[in-house]
Amino acid sequence: MDLQTFKQQILPVQGRLFRLAKLFLRNREEAEDALQEVLMKLWMNRHQLDAYRSVEALAVQMTRNLCLDRLKTRAGRPMDDGALLENLQAATVSPYRQTELADSAGLMMRFVDALPEPQKLILHLRDVEEYSFEEIEEVTGLTVNNIRVILSRARKSVRENYLKANNYEAGH
Amino acid sequence: MKPDIEKLLERYYEGETTLEEEKLLREFFRSEAVPAHLKDHAAPFQHYTDFRQEHPSPAVGSRFADRVGAESRIRPLVRWGLRVAAGLTLLLLGFFGGMLYSARTSPAGEGQTASAAEDLKTVLRYDRVMQTSASERIQAVYQSMELDRADQEITLLLVNALNSDANVNVRLAACQALLRFRDEPGVREALIQSLKVQTDPNVQISLIEALVVIREKRAAREIQRMARNEQIIKAVRMKAEEGLSRLI
Repeated sequence: MDLQTFKQQILPVQGRLFRLAKLFLRNREEAEDALQEVLMKLWMNRHQLDAYRSVEALAVQMTRNLCLDRLKTRAGRPMDDGALLENLQAATVSPYRQTELADSAGLMMRFVDALPEPQKLILHLRDVEEYSFEEIEEVTGLTVNNIRVILSRARKSVRENYLKANNYEAGH
Repeated sequence: MKPDIEKLLERYYEGETTLEEEKLLREFFRSEAVPAHLKDHAAPFQHYTDFRQEHPSPAVGSRFADRVGAESRIRPLVRWGLRVAAGLTLLLLGFFGGMLYSARTSPAGEGQTASAAEDLKTVLRYDRVMQTSASERIQAVYQSMELDRADQEITLLLVNALNSDANVNVRLAACQALLRFRDEPGVREALIQSLKVQTDPNVQISLIEALVVIREKRAAREIQRMARNEQIIKAVRMKAEEGLSRLI
């Protein structure tokens, strides 16, 4: 693959790779760093890229793997999200704190972030990036049925956490 | 519209909605007309839409372009050198095979043809690859097709281009050119051997087609191997099967 084709096929996908990196790494600079690294890796291997049916799926996989590696080697980063969820569920949350925590955007980010893999990845690919199930299949290697199940779990999980945070009963 | 939304939401949480239906939900929750009892479903949709607006700063793209721009002017010699070496090895194998099968004398071209041939040899010489553009090399390959005969040096250069040129279009052109010179010593063998090194699906398909057209039954084994190789993409495997059935 030459530079021209590379530019045409891969650079337009930058946004998706960046958002995926930001999802995992939670930090803009680190996400841009990761994106830079993935682009270079793809470039170094450009001669092998022609053999792939979907270079985008490959790029997404590479980004996810890179991010997971980065997370592993991140030493001593405070995992405050678990504690936050506990606080939300505790009866002793003050009204002031409730209002504070009801900042939807921050809340949603935390709930999605707290999801286990592969729920987090699949939810992101579907609900943020609007990938088809076939595209998600290509990236994850999971079957479409499996993906639906995981997606369902993720969506329900996010909703339940949100309802708890807003102090509603989640019963139906 | 409301009952539909509630049904859609149910299916949404079961993971059963289509992309169009999810779009409907997103648009619904963005509008002002969200009834109170549905309001608490709105947050995720809003969040996902917001997140979609995040973009990397333009610095990333331009930094990448800078680094790559510098790199592509100084091609990594080692990798390129290895590919040339691999191409040459295959070539030697091909030529030995060719010499065993046919003893042909090859008179040099005359007059005008000779100088045209010399020109394109110069362009295709492998140590000149770094100073020529892909277009120039493609041009040279096409020029070679206008010759009546190709001497060993030209076929050697064409085979090398087929196996080692970094540009896929040059490789495709070389395949076409070699098809034309199918009766020159070593060419058929080189085409068969080339099947083993090609990774680009377009070149693989062209090669298979070329070998079938010249009825090169000795290629059958390699083509069959390719048809069974899971690592090769489906379109190529299908071509291999089709080619095989026409060949035998």
